[in-house]
Amino acid sequence: MKKFPHPLKIARLVVATAFGLTLTLIFLVPGSAISTVLSPILTPLQLVPSVVRLTGGAVIVLAGLIPVLLLTILMGRVYCSTVCPLGILQDLVIRFRRQFPGRRWFRYNTPPPLFHYSVFSLTVVLALSGSFLLLNLLEPFSTYGRVVSTVGGPMAVALNNAAAFLLNRLGLPLLVHLPWRVADLVAITIPALVIVAIGAMAFWRGRLFCNTLCPAGALLGILSRVSIFRITVDHERCNECGHCERVCKAECIHSGSKTVDFAACVGCFNCIDACPTVGLSFEPIWHRDARTQTNDGRRSVLMTLIAPVTGRLAADSTIAPRALTYDESRRLAVAPPGAASTERFTGLCTACHLCVSACPTQVLYPSVLEYGLEGLFQPRMNYTASYCNFDCTVCGDVCPTGALQALPQAEKKLTQLGKAFFVREDCIVVTKKTDCGACSEHCPTKAVKMVPEGKVLLPVVTDTLCIGCGACEHACPTKPRKAIYVIPSAVHGKAQKPDTTPVQEGKQELEEFPF
Amino acid sequence: MDRRAFVRTSAAAAAWTLAGGMRLEAAGKIPDLVAVKGGEAEAMFRRGIAALGGMRAFVKPNSKVVIKPNIGWDVPPERAGNTNPKLIAEIIKQCKEAGAKEVTVFDHTCDNWSRCYRTSGIEAAVREAGGTMAPGHAPAYYQEVKLGTGKSLTSVKEHEAILAADVFINVPILKSHSSTRLTIAMKNLMGNVWDRGYWHANDLHQCIADYAGYRKPTLNVVDAYAVMKRNGPRGVSVSDVVTMKAQLLSTDIVAIDAAGAKLLGLDPSDVRHIELAAARGVGTMELDKLAIERISL
Repeated sequence: MKKFPHPLKIARLVVATAFGLTLTLIFLVPGSAISTVLSPILTPLQLVPSVVRLTGGAVIVLAGLIPVLLLTILMGRVYCSTVCPLGILQDLVIRFRRQFPGRRWFRYNTPPPLFHYSVFSLTVVLALSGSFLLLNLLEPFSTYGRVVSTVGGPMAVALNNAAAFLLNRLGLPLLVHLPWRVADLVAITIPALVIVAIGAMAFWRGRLFCNTLCPAGALLGILSRVSIFRITVDHERCNECGHCERVCKAECIHSGSKTVDFAACVGCFNCIDACPTVGLSFEPIWHRDARTQTNDGRRSVLMTLIAPVTGRLAADSTIAPRALTYDESRRLAVAPPGAASTERFTGLCTACHLCVSACPTQVLYPSVLEYGLEGLFQPRMNYTASYCNFDCTVCGDVCPTGALQALPQAEKKLTQLGKAFFVREDCIVVTKKTDCGACSEHCPTKAVKMVPEGKVLLPVVTDTLCIGCGACEHACPTKPRKAIYVIPSAVHGKAQKPDTTPVQEGKQELEEFPF
Repeated sequence: MDRRAFVRTSAAAAAWTLAGGMRLEAAGKIPDLVAVKGGEAEAMFRRGIAALGGMRAFVKPNSKVVIKPNIGWDVPPERAGNTNPKLIAEIIKQCKEAGAKEVTVFDHTCDNWSRCYRTSGIEAAVREAGGTMAPGHAPAYYQEVKLGTGKSLTSVKEHEAILAADVFINVPILKSHSSTRLTIAMKNLMGNVWDRGYWHANDLHQCIADYAGYRKPTLNVVDAYAVMKRNGPRGVSVSDVVTMKAQLLSTDIVAIDAAGAKLLGLDPSDVRHIELAAARGVGTMELDKLAIERISL
């Protein structure tokens, strides 16, 4: 007869389900308000994004960060089994793996901590020297979000639209069609392959990724070395049956020697649940049996802390800024509002794609090489797909790392992401000599004005008023090249306030009909 | 005159006499254009529609009505970038009173559709008045139709609500416009179709006139309560807006645009799509040849 699971395991399953569902939802439906509402509550709890955001001085994330760190000091890495979406996803793979006879059980095989800390150090050094490439490929929240957004997003849209079509046919217009959007093939394939690889690791050896490559796992592993409550083996009660070792997906329990590598433990409580003799317990450190050991590795911890500092010093001396040529600026991506500068942005964004999913106008797309290799998959403005809504500040509001600062609406409306550039010889007004004006029509600041030239009206750009929102570029109907496009500003500027002198003084009401 | 033509003509004459007789009884001769000023949007509409013989002259019991305001921009009502929501609500109420089975409101917006519907105040007003907001932001809501006679425009993807409706009420707001100098009733019809970029790229004015020749609204109501005199069609701030407190009503889309042009201080002949539409007989732009009823509240 199957016994009722241990309360700690039940608690883990409940919390993991809640986080798993909500963290999936905020990435799943493009442009949905769910992201805007839930993200500020959920994302401060995500370790790496919040640490990155803290380095930018946003103390508000401490509201999420401190509980996570305190929880780890109290209970070890339970975060990895409840709050981390990638951990939860791996647990689903591990559950699936159990169906395979040869893959039913695990055995003790804790990966060497030195390897994990080396990877972690390299990740941190690169991040501090300005390249988030490795961090972005390994950081669990972003790795998960990226796939849900770029692979799950289109699937959600397809499913929704199919359902909307059928319901409409039945005369029940309950669902609204969502605009179809697909990211660059590379931006879909690589994140998908990364997830498949992590899934394969999970299928092979459980939470191997979490104890070899994951930066959050490394950081929390260090903390869990001093945690108060631990998985403890009662040497009297334990009969070395090995049940605990077989269910340990972190492969960190050695039943023969009755030891637990608690730094590698992800706090799933499967072991306690599986133990037939109550030989395992979750107890405060002062109850611990004197003979229980943990694998310490103090030197590697020390190295972890020193390496980033020396690495940063080395990096600073080698990288020097240089001016961009015109052709380079043409290929550059426009960074979203709140980025402040491309350099600042690419050095803080973990490419989680939360802004990509939350953006109501769906103008944000994952970049491929537009920011350079270290900016891989970080979001850029795609003015072919859409344009930035003048009054909207959602991307900065949801950004969990602070790479996009939350701009007050008034400031956002004056923030120049780039400047519109008009190509006269490509414009319809010039080539066909007929009125068009789609660019000026859409411009929210009238930085693009139409001035008479012969019998038609021709666009003229006022640089100082342009905020680079891309409305003109998006609306421009010339093909294949747009006759007006935004040249990105590597450092975001500030536009002039528009002229607000009243168009008509004195009495406004119509006195006489002019016909 | 053959027998069939004779029968048709006499039947039409009988119907005309009957309908005209009934209308004359109620409100005298029906004018070609009604111009109202000096009141709130709802009050001006009540007087204006009465002068045209009342809503029942246009909306038959059990009919499907579609109302097409201008909801192009994510701006609040005071910016006058979108049709006055109070006017839309009043029109819906009267349609319902006339026995309309359903009243649908939509626009193919320029800015993000859900933000436009919300910020304009139109979504809330429609819901309160008992109408239905229909989405128009995806190609799935449009169907290809052939225009037949268009010069620059031969086919469009037209919104399904327009195709399904018995009664089409076009309710633009009068604004300055950077592409076409002004936007009134004919220009507002661009929101009926999916691919507006084609119009821009292929002689915009001609396309507007072509479509006006194809799709004739049952009634046009021009909202000129608050009028964007500069920086249209989106506007930059409330300083672009003048509170004119006027409204126009007509079944003649060219006449109403000609009158609207004058309200904005432009000569109708300065606006090429008005001239093109008049030339192809969509309506008349010669206001002095029309019976205009002018109402001051």
